[in-house]
Amino acid sequence: MAERFSPDQNREDQKKDLKMSAVVVVHGGAWAIPDELAKASVDGVKVAACEGFSVLKRGGSALDAVEAAVRAMEDNIVFNAGHGAVLNADGEMELDAIIMDGRTLGSGAVSSVKNIANPVTLARAVMEKTAHVMLTSRGANLFAESIGTVTVPTDTLVTEYERKEWEKRKNYVTGVMEDFNAQWVHDTVGAVAVDCAGNVASATSTGGIRNKMVGRVGDSPIIGSGGYADNLSGAVSCTGHGESILKVTLARLILSHVEQGRSVADSSQLSLQYMADRVRGAGGAIVVSPSGQWAATFTTDRMAWAAVDQDVLWYGLDPKERFKEQFSQ
Amino acid sequence: MTDMLPVVVVHGGAGHIPKERSERSTEGVCSAARAGYIILQGGGSSMDAVVGAVTELENNPNFNAGCGSVLNVKGDVEMDAIVMDGKSLGSGAVSAVRNIANPIQLARLVMDKTSHVCLTAEGAGQFARSMGVPEVPQESLITEYSRMRWKKNLEPEANPVEFQMGKMGTVGAVAVDSEGNVACATSTGGILNKMEGRVGDTPCVGCGGYADNSSGAVSTTGHGEAIMKVILARLILFHMEQGQSVEAASDLGLAYMKSRVDGLGGVVTVDPQGHWAARFSSGQMAWAAAQKDTLHYGLYTGEHFTQSIDETDTKHNSHIPMF
Repeated sequence: MAERFSPDQNREDQKKDLKMSAVVVVHGGAWAIPDELAKASVDGVKVAACEGFSVLKRGGSALDAVEAAVRAMEDNIVFNAGHGAVLNADGEMELDAIIMDGRTLGSGAVSSVKNIANPVTLARAVMEKTAHVMLTSRGANLFAESIGTVTVPTDTLVTEYERKEWEKRKNYVTGVMEDFNAQWVHDTVGAVAVDCAGNVASATSTGGIRNKMVGRVGDSPIIGSGGYADNLSGAVSCTGHGESILKVTLARLILSHVEQGRSVADSSQLSLQYMADRVRGAGGAIVVSPSGQWAATFTTDRMAWAAVDQDVLWYGLDPKERFKEQFSQ
Repeated sequence: MTDMLPVVVVHGGAGHIPKERSERSTEGVCSAARAGYIILQGGGSSMDAVVGAVTELENNPNFNAGCGSVLNVKGDVEMDAIVMDGKSLGSGAVSAVRNIANPIQLARLVMDKTSHVCLTAEGAGQFARSMGVPEVPQESLITEYSRMRWKKNLEPEANPVEFQMGKMGTVGAVAVDSEGNVACATSTGGILNKMEGRVGDTPCVGCGGYADNSSGAVSTTGHGEAIMKVILARLILFHMEQGQSVEAASDLGLAYMKSRVDGLGGVVTVDPQGHWAARFSSGQMAWAAAQKDTLHYGLYTGEHFTQSIDETDTKHNSHIPMF
């Protein structure tokens, strides 16, 4: 069943305040996060959400906030993005990321890029420094070089934990059609935000699925699937079974419900349920609307998520969890 | 309903097609539509039909897909393609693939033979080899025309992004078979002098194409980056889900793309009942449709010619323009 929730507080009383409240929401992946990773995952999303909110508090844009939040998770080895990402069938790391600006619908994405510690920043460079939206593979790496992005050896990005897990799965037959399994690692990371000017943005970053075929591209860098942002409706970042997310263009689907007047929570729940029914896929999504409504919803066993809204830090892992603390920088 | 089915609609790209090449583009899309229709009449699925039609266009050197693809800034050919099955929402896509003649067939193999939806670059090439897809020399995909245009655009004053409309674009097809299943297929060499590794809308689900038995199928062409920003194919189907006709939905999507992100393009759209549309906001789009033993086709805005599907010659027959 879809777990849904959104903050209790009545935002009507906020309308007295002419200045829009800024909000950031992050996720560290929707999957059956094992207990040994639970604390680190929750700590990681809390840190990332606070990073993002600090940016917003100093007057930074939603775009800056989501990039900062996702960078924090790419740098954190517990998540499957940047440092700590999973390995493909050849034992190599191929990274995907996307960022999108709700004001202009501008977007930047990279797929199958190697030896880059912060793919989300490279994705932003694609958006801001080229006439394109997406670069892949060697072309993406050549672009990174051309703008002076540091290349790091794979060994600095791979964790021992991942090497061990990869060795275990190496013997698993690949290329065989298999039913989606909620036990697969999908800890893609992502963030959405709305800033004081009412602009929304989203960003998503991942190493993909462990032992994926070489060159496999999932939903994360695909606009409308891994993420979407539009000042007219909101921003979304998705996680879960990538192939399923693609088939239903999940991010754009969620916003189509918002456009029809549904709440961000209902829109997420309906869309995730549709994905489960139509293509038997599970996952999660974080959404923020231009007015500051937000939701963190998932149909997997767990999703590490955190949000900061009006100086309150919210977070959770298991369904129906909703903890809160005071935000501090 | 049954006599509206089956139907196939193909496009050979939206953009400015030089007059001297327009005849070839019209012939090409008509031939591809006929090929798709024959497959449908023979009991083939909508997927078989769209792949068959697009394969023909890839093999036709006059279109920017497969043979005849535009070159990237380095003078190489990198191709993108997508297929989608409206019944299962299954999809297969390849991006930046090199040295194969038919990316659309590789895309279908991704859908049918792997648990993934999209493979890129070297990985797509490895998969092709593992499937026994022949590797072809790049030269066999490059035409004089594409090489000439590449050279022209290397000049400092050239503006490839603007100029990309001055060529034949992406190719694609949508179809509904006799069982009411819809499918789409889209294939391209991308935009002229693109950066190495540039991926446009074509292989992105919802952008280059989308197919869903509950609403319809769309294949898009035009300014790739703009199509991506508005998720054009999926957007058109959202409008159809809300009750708009194939034509109105297509026009709404294209108009939004123009006003919101200043992009031009074209689409072919079909619904499960067999209603279809070929619409474009650019000056031209080579398109053709086959339904009820009739071939429909056009190139410039407002054109809609028809003739019996059995007539093989579109060049010299007198056509009655219909609006």
